[in-house]
Amino acid sequence: MGATMIGYRTLRHNARALLPNGFALAVGALLLLAPTMGWAADEPAANPDQACLGCHGFAGMEKKAADGDVIKLHVPGELFAKSVHGANGCASCHSDIDAGKHPPSTKEIKSARSYSVGMTESCKGCHTDKFTQWDTSIHAALVRAGNPAAPICTDCHNPHGVIKGAAAKVDETPCQSCHKDVFTAYSASVHGQSLKTKADSYAPVCSGCHSAHEVKPISLGQGPTAACAGCHAGVLEKHKSWLPNAALHFEVVSCPACHVQNAQRKVDLMLIDAQDKARGTEQIGVPLFDASTRSDGKGIDAITLWNLLQTFNREGAHNRTVVRGRLKVATGPQAHQLGDKGTAVSDCRTCHSENSEAFKSVTISLVGPDGRRVGYGASADVLNSVISVDTVRGFYAIGGTRIILLDILLVLAVLAGIGVAVGHVFLGWFFKRFGFYNPHNGGHAGHPPAGDGPKAAQK
Amino acid sequence: MARIYLHPLPVRIWHWTNAIGFILMIISGLQIRYVGLVDLFSFRAAVTMHNFVGFVLIANFFVWLAFYLSSDRIRAYHSELNPKKHFIGAIRQIYYYAFGIFRGEPNPFHATPYNKFNPLQSMIYQIIMMLLLPVQIYTGILLWDVQRFQSQVDFFGGVRVLDTVHVLIFIAFVFYLFVHVYLGSLGHTRTTHYKAMITGYEDEE
Repeated sequence: MGATMIGYRTLRHNARALLPNGFALAVGALLLLAPTMGWAADEPAANPDQACLGCHGFAGMEKKAADGDVIKLHVPGELFAKSVHGANGCASCHSDIDAGKHPPSTKEIKSARSYSVGMTESCKGCHTDKFTQWDTSIHAALVRAGNPAAPICTDCHNPHGVIKGAAAKVDETPCQSCHKDVFTAYSASVHGQSLKTKADSYAPVCSGCHSAHEVKPISLGQGPTAACAGCHAGVLEKHKSWLPNAALHFEVVSCPACHVQNAQRKVDLMLIDAQDKARGTEQIGVPLFDASTRSDGKGIDAITLWNLLQTFNREGAHNRTVVRGRLKVATGPQAHQLGDKGTAVSDCRTCHSENSEAFKSVTISLVGPDGRRVGYGASADVLNSVISVDTVRGFYAIGGTRIILLDILLVLAVLAGIGVAVGHVFLGWFFKRFGFYNPHNGGHAGHPPAGDGPKAAQK
Repeated sequence: MARIYLHPLPVRIWHWTNAIGFILMIISGLQIRYVGLVDLFSFRAAVTMHNFVGFVLIANFFVWLAFYLSSDRIRAYHSELNPKKHFIGAIRQIYYYAFGIFRGEPNPFHATPYNKFNPLQSMIYQIIMMLLLPVQIYTGILLWDVQRFQSQVDFFGGVRVLDTVHVLIFIAFVFYLFVHVYLGSLGHTRTTHYKAMITGYEDEE
């Protein structure tokens, strides 16, 4: 053990003396002896955990894992006593500890992380519903993928100090420890400011929109938009009073795309399963996309996207893959910089004009094997080439993503329409001018449409 | 010179309502599609106008349909029931407009109240009124409220497919408008057909 383990040998000796015949007996004895021992530990929690705290209540108690990690073994007694777990007792989670043989602990711990991951089984025993929710989350997917930073139960909830509702306080929300940039943006938003300045504010903290445990990749569904509507009741009806096709806007435009001032907007074209729109196209295509990503830095172009969809939907494919487009802000922090509604975008030209920056930045995304969204850069022509009628059928912003070929056809139609009239008048003049017109052929006086009278007649 | 009553009042009202409506739809459609390039009024005002005039034109279409379905003048749209003769007549009319008219040849067609469209006109008007306009109305209604008609939008392949069809027909109408107005000047005099569509009576040579 390290040098910081002050008095550990003495404590271990005392505890061993108190634990000869099992955990309960030891706890009972400890209760009788504790007042006379004068331990320098934290104030002990309610019994029968004082035996444990007899050692673990000492600040600085720690152990070295096999990988060199230092595992802190100190449990602040007072904090634990006040926590929601205080009444459960140590053994409810640490049932693997044989009180008759502990201390010393001979169990080798591979790493602090592996120990914590293993302990989530203890959490699951009581919090089955929350654990099941977490198990479907992006966080759990990352854990399974071996990400050492992905949060497990104890990363957000201090098991020895958890207090109900603590995470609901804006300054104590655990998400900020990993998502610092997002949290900073949120703190400055209309929601964050409301919580800081109004005592009776009901503005959401992170879990209010993202849920605490069932956190999903943002690209997989309508979660955040639905979350907005959860508090802002009647918001669709209010938008309908001024916004044409408001329901469609709600489906394809994320709330921050309009409610974040000066946001950079982009289009995300998600590849989804046509049979089940809530589910991503899992496990397929990622290597194919990697191979298709062009090296010139322009990203996937219209033809490449079409070829990819043809490959996905080849004969015998299990489900049909389609593209669902969505207008959103470019980055996570921007998505949280929501402003007061007075600052929201209400000028249609922001998106419905040819030069809208929103349609110059395009990503094509799908769900990778670990459940995370994988985005690939795409060139803007995936939205305005004629082939987009087939590939991006469901996403269209009037003006902003119009097909260039149709513009050319319109110009040709105007030129042809004018050309027919002008050409016809010219031919009439030409026939008269060079004597091909004969009024005695039976035509009426108004013909041909050149107007100056036939040259032949003038002669 | 004879005067014949070619265009009954309901047809004239329908025609000029259609004419004004088409122009407003084209202007508002251009404003909607080319924001920034066209700046006659706001995008939102253009959408409101496009929707309102669109429904007026839909009602107007049914006025036209009701009039002709309840009138024996419906024969004007297909006075020649023999497809071969109709087709040959259309070819003759094309020849006349493309060549004969410049040589001073007589118009192969003479209008009567029950046969007021030449074979080419008849063919084109039937395509417009029974195919292009209904498709334009239908796609326009679906695009007016995509969510309300989501299942139909999906059935036809998505909003972009519908919009493309809507714009293609719009482009065809823009071309048609130029040609229609110009061909209107090829009557007995430059203004014969225009006046007839106002008074109902057309002078015959």
